[in-house]
Amino acid sequence: MSAEVLPDTTADTVPRARIVRRILGRYLRHPGLSLGLFVLVLLSFVAIAAPWLAPHGPTEADLMNTLAHPSGEYLLGTDQYGRDILSRLIWGARISLEVALAVVALSLTFGSAIGAIAGYAGGWVERIMMVCNDILLAFPGFLLALALVAARGSSLENVILAVSIAYTPRVAAVMRSVVITIRPRPFIEASRAIGMSSSRVLLRHVLPNALPPVIVVTTVSAATAILAEAGLSFLGLGVQPPTATWGNIISDGQGFITSNPLISLSAGLCIAVTVIALNLLGDGLRDTLDPQMRRYTGERML
Amino acid sequence: MSDGAVLAVRDLRTVFPSESGPVTTVDKVSFSLGAGETLAVVGESGSGKTMTFLSVLRLVPPPGRVIGGEVLFEGADIATLSASAMRSIRGAGIAMVFQDPLTALNPVFTIGDQMLEVIRAHTGMGPRQARVRALEVLERVHIPAPAQRIDDYPHQLSGGMRQRVLIAMAIALRPKVLIADEPTTALDVTVQAQILELLAELRSELGMGMVLITHDLGLVAKYADRVAVMYAGRVVETSPMARGFGQSRHPYTRSLFRSIPRLDLPADQPLTAIAGQPPDLARLPAGCAFEPRCFLGNGREDCRNERPALSPTTSDRHLSACPHWRTLLDAEPGA
Amino acid sequence: MLRYTARRLLLMSITVIGMVTVVFFLLRAIPGDPASYMLGDYATEESVAALKAELGLDRPVWEQYLGFVKRALTGDLGTSVVTGQPAFDEVLESIPWSAALSVSGIIIAVLAGVPLGVMSAVRHGTFADLFVMLGALIGISFPVFWVGLVCILLLAHEVRLFPALGASSSQDFFTQVHHLMLPALVLGFSVAAYIARLTRSAMLEVLGQDFVRVARAMGVPERRIVYRLALRNALIPVLAVIGVTFAWSLGSAILVEAVFSRPGLGSMILKAVFARDYQLVQAGVFVLASAVVLVNTSLDIVYGWVDPRVSVS
Repeated sequence: MSAEVLPDTTADTVPRARIVRRILGRYLRHPGLSLGLFVLVLLSFVAIAAPWLAPHGPTEADLMNTLAHPSGEYLLGTDQYGRDILSRLIWGARISLEVALAVVALSLTFGSAIGAIAGYAGGWVERIMMVCNDILLAFPGFLLALALVAARGSSLENVILAVSIAYTPRVAAVMRSVVITIRPRPFIEASRAIGMSSSRVLLRHVLPNALPPVIVVTTVSAATAILAEAGLSFLGLGVQPPTATWGNIISDGQGFITSNPLISLSAGLCIAVTVIALNLLGDGLRDTLDPQMRRYTGERML
Repeated sequence: MSDGAVLAVRDLRTVFPSESGPVTTVDKVSFSLGAGETLAVVGESGSGKTMTFLSVLRLVPPPGRVIGGEVLFEGADIATLSASAMRSIRGAGIAMVFQDPLTALNPVFTIGDQMLEVIRAHTGMGPRQARVRALEVLERVHIPAPAQRIDDYPHQLSGGMRQRVLIAMAIALRPKVLIADEPTTALDVTVQAQILELLAELRSELGMGMVLITHDLGLVAKYADRVAVMYAGRVVETSPMARGFGQSRHPYTRSLFRSIPRLDLPADQPLTAIAGQPPDLARLPAGCAFEPRCFLGNGREDCRNERPALSPTTSDRHLSACPHWRTLLDAEPGA
Repeated sequence: MLRYTARRLLLMSITVIGMVTVVFFLLRAIPGDPASYMLGDYATEESVAALKAELGLDRPVWEQYLGFVKRALTGDLGTSVVTGQPAFDEVLESIPWSAALSVSGIIIAVLAGVPLGVMSAVRHGTFADLFVMLGALIGISFPVFWVGLVCILLLAHEVRLFPALGASSSQDFFTQVHHLMLPALVLGFSVAAYIARLTRSAMLEVLGQDFVRVARAMGVPERRIVYRLALRNALIPVLAVIGVTFAWSLGSAILVEAVFSRPGLGSMILKAVFARDYQLVQAGVFVLASAVVLVNTSLDIVYGWVDPRVSVS
């Protein structure tokens, strides 16, 4: 229907550079996408430049000024040990982004590999792999991460490891459903017919075609990882004090929520802004990359 | 145009906004359809065939909009009717059968359920009564054992059967006009003939006016009484079918006809594809839209400057939008 | 349909056995010796050895595993090191609290999320759509424990509409419900946001399909098209993820219970983690995951009933 309505606007008379500019323009014109991207770039800058941006050290205690209200010296006030909230938030951005990056790298690598192999192999291999995957999926992701951290001990590495293990099956499930829709397409059969090896077909054809959904999954898992780390830190199972993370700043402020609400509120807002930016970016990419993929991603990423 | 037409359309215009300004997908289209008559509408994809009839039914998908014209159904203008009055004409007065029976039925409802939904939308019938009516029409479209099939889900039926169900749904309320939009494109060749025979049979039994949208000129010759040829959102020629395409009085129709393989011509006669690209609706020339691809002396002044109107040729039942139609007759005197 | 149900049930048993395996190895993920880990730094050698013998840690791993599976399937999930009670009994005590929170959270989420998602899709591109989608974005992005804290601050301390504590020792039903309301709303909000987003995109997809166009061309009223014909199609993917949201809500419930100091499986597990009562952690994790599988299997069976294509193929 719609093909009958709108003429093809990218006729071959349009120069290449203009097409590239037009596509780029389409991304940047998407308001959510560009806003999300802007916020994330800003946050990354803050995280990298933390030592220079933060007015105080993250663990520097001013015992004369505990639970201070906002002032020129301490813009967002101090906590019960007299540490500057703003500086702790700035340093906390590092932990959150570090966890997000590491978890995405780990769960994406292993999850895509597992999902792609299962989806591509089919038959019994797929069935057995997916039953195993479903077993892991049956555990609430956060609960599994919590149990793993509880067993391995609380440290940044263990939090990353636990969250990655908990969320890898989710990436694998999405990846597999993407691959099984690509598998029956003609060019895959053609490459097999001309004698390409399985691993070559997988690398050359299947993975690149699965890329758009994978990019969206990346943003969703980054958001999930940040929320999971914050949750673990809030419960006291994540990165241990005195290291500043947004989760344990909220936890620190919980006891003073009525007298010094700014401690918990500001840290929560930091998490929320980051996760909203990631979700905006993910939604925007989903809208612009390929409207068809909507059904594969998102819904299984909780 | 002809009096007593069950459906007459005059100067219908539909536009879609686009980055390079509004695109007119239906451009001052006029035609009429008599009761019991079959009008074939032919043209390349993108020529506005389907959009014309979606405009008639006021179902143009947004952001498209009908911006002008008259649609006379049984003599009354329905272009200005209220939304709810228009709804009661859809399905009951003018019904439409779509191209792809595989996607046209809702997969999670039984066919009976979907038919009842249509029947009960237009009548005060209770479920029992409506079911009886549904069984009647299923029988009418020659579905074997309708009492068993009616509770089937669409995926349990073959493509041909599903198209029969959709036709049954379309005729359930005895509409005066049936619009069949490429009803057989998605079906096997053997099934195609059955469906078209069924449509022809129903048309004469129920005395409906029928519109057959197609790009298959073979079907047109066999089933249509009259044909309207569309190009770039405009009707460029309407003629009685009895004359055949050899007598056509528009160069586009000629080109279209010459580009299809035929069994009645020597096999060594070359097929000629139409030169050039289909037109970009956003950048139509000021004059005749077909002029850049026309084989009749390219670049005539009047063709480029002035948009030719659809006007009578030798008879007022045969209209052409080419002012040089006489040249065509001279060029092929034997045809 | 019967074969489909049987197959789902078979798959469920396989999954449960698989989960027992995962839970078994969770304990083995503890670096070093679980027994001395559980007893802490001041344990004597004898007490460690005694606990080892009690837990069967001195026997070969496969023997431990088989024994664990056999006992787990008969409901014996070990003994709580702290209270000396059977772990399963401790878990049973927490279940009603967790069930009340999760079930009411999901009910709130479905009752709010589905209609809002449908409305958003039907009024696609309007101010109402934008408003709902912004709310949903907030719902999926704000940490649930933080939303809980803010609600306590505003609705319990400032306005005093709800109690700050998520539970009461009172036996009175209405008092209990009053205490449950705020935690359930907080949990429900995040799940509702997710369901609303999903419902909207499913509904938009369905409304763009051919059969909707056909129904319109046949003059079926728009209300019937949206709320009967299209809604059933759109609800299929929503139904499919309610199981997932259930698992998710059980995970979030740990945080909600912590914020509202409410008893339940989550806070039981958390307490056990800090007490190094690992038998109890295992039992809690196993029961939570089993609940997820049970709910998912029942939903799968309902799913097969709603979508005729599933049970046939």
